[in-house]
Amino acid sequence: MDKRHPSSFQQLEKLGEGTYATVFKGRNGQTGAFVALKEIHLDSEEGTPSTAIREISLMKELKHENIVSLYDVIHTENKLMLVFEYMDKDLKKYMDSYHNPNGGPRGALDAPTIKSFMWQLMKGVAFCHDNRVLHRDLKPQNLLINNQGQLKLADFGLARAFGIPVNTFSNEVVTLWYRAPDVLLGSRTYNTSIDIWSAGCIMAEMFTGRPLFPGTTNEDQLLKIFRLMGTPSERSWPGISQFPEYKTTWPVYATQELRNLLPSVDAAGLGLLGQMLQMRPEMRCSAQQALQHPWFAEFQQREAARAGQQAAFR
Amino acid sequence: MAANYWDSTQAKYWTFTKPELSELRHQLTQHHQPTVSKFHLPDRRHLSIYMQTNLIKLARRLNLRQQALATAQIYIKRFYLRVEIRRTNPYLIMATAIYLACKMEETPQHIRLMLGEAARQWPELGVTETSKIGECEFAVISTLQSRLICHHPYRALGELQGTFGLGTEEGTLAHNIVNDCFNTDLPLLYAPHVIAITAMFLAVVLRPAGQMGGSAAQSALAGFAGLKQAGPKLGKMVDWLAESEVDMEAVIDATQEMVSLYECWEGYSERACKEAITKFMREGK
Repeated sequence: MDKRHPSSFQQLEKLGEGTYATVFKGRNGQTGAFVALKEIHLDSEEGTPSTAIREISLMKELKHENIVSLYDVIHTENKLMLVFEYMDKDLKKYMDSYHNPNGGPRGALDAPTIKSFMWQLMKGVAFCHDNRVLHRDLKPQNLLINNQGQLKLADFGLARAFGIPVNTFSNEVVTLWYRAPDVLLGSRTYNTSIDIWSAGCIMAEMFTGRPLFPGTTNEDQLLKIFRLMGTPSERSWPGISQFPEYKTTWPVYATQELRNLLPSVDAAGLGLLGQMLQMRPEMRCSAQQALQHPWFAEFQQREAARAGQQAAFR
Repeated sequence: MAANYWDSTQAKYWTFTKPELSELRHQLTQHHQPTVSKFHLPDRRHLSIYMQTNLIKLARRLNLRQQALATAQIYIKRFYLRVEIRRTNPYLIMATAIYLACKMEETPQHIRLMLGEAARQWPELGVTETSKIGECEFAVISTLQSRLICHHPYRALGELQGTFGLGTEEGTLAHNIVNDCFNTDLPLLYAPHVIAITAMFLAVVLRPAGQMGGSAAQSALAGFAGLKQAGPKLGKMVDWLAESEVDMEAVIDATQEMVSLYECWEGYSERACKEAITKFMREGK
């Protein structure tokens, strides 16, 4: 049993209202270090929320430098408090407050930062997938950034039995912007590729400062995707007419060039993005393949050098 | 959904050696000496069989998957390593373990429906408010230190069945042996693949002896008569295991534990278990 008490943490300002919890900035009374305190609202009707149980148990298993650390779980009479590693900002806020020294559109990041964030994002995603865990809700708000420029995946709570929930605990609608077309079409057999689609959307957003597909409804989300990627057909996507949300009334859009929408991205970057933003899930690259992409050459070399150094000390 | 076994909390925090297990249990009984000496309990495996039988009944009513049932049984095993059984309401723990396991295995059940079925199944439960299940769930999560992801032998069983050339009947028998392993300490002692290999090994050895439709227990009691007939398949398995890095000592020990379970099963009395539980539930308060 946990003997620690919530009062060993000083509660500071509120950081946000999550899907099933409130997050506060906190300070460890003994060490003075900052932490993030996630207070779980207990549902008297259905016990501890499944989302909370899932997040806690997953975070107990997944230890990686690009996944936010769960330090402690504190149980009290009727409350559950998760003590997380403190991160300064989420990627959304980071982009909102970013001023590119070289100008460019508001909210857009500079190319080296984007590459570093994408490398770290794919590292974290690859680790999840290697451990057979799907994140299922990757979006800028769930990627945390600290002052050292580290990026970590957070919020593993949105995983449910039957697909992805549309409504959260507080009835706030879960954003559709990063959702893969196969999920939007009603697929229930989705796999790791849904996280790759989300990562692709996030990459594009870091370059432009604007969400790539800001849909309002399931239907609108699909149409926004089709407008860029082209309306799929049985010819381009065999079996698409079998999906529950398939419509014969979709307007037919032609495929646009990513290059036109993202003029500031170099050829290698567009190549990687093209592999992530594939309509058909089986055509999307895996996280491991993304990490092998030439766009990440400098990071691959750095990693190889570090591995070589470590080997030399053995 | 599962993470890598070797880095898992199951491997790190919920897998023990035999001396560690007996030390944990010794401490628990020491700590509750008066209660323990007041209420005599049947063999731990008999209690396990009793609970499994009851859990299966509830699981059938709720139409649950094997995976959730297995997870519930693991939670109960782990929980009773930390909490003395005589100080609990085992029916409440069983209902809660099922409820929690269903959430974890992504097949959540409504608390009201769950409690209704449990109460119908077990008049001894004595719980009518759903909030009791919620509270108990909270206590179970806390006692298990939120380390709730379980790795079961079924995955390895599915993966290796083809490698070992098991037939349908042997496959079914191996599956049943894995189900039975939850009545032993094996899930607290060994990696899931060790248990899966043990089950397949036993299935190959026992199958020819056990007649069609016979339970694993009956087959085991028929002894190793089938050993000779199992020759070629067994030879293939032994060769594979010799080449692999599987802990053979663990497989041998697990095999012995399973054979011993089936011997022990002979003396199982549902009534004795039920009465023992009723006694400490009624008088232990």
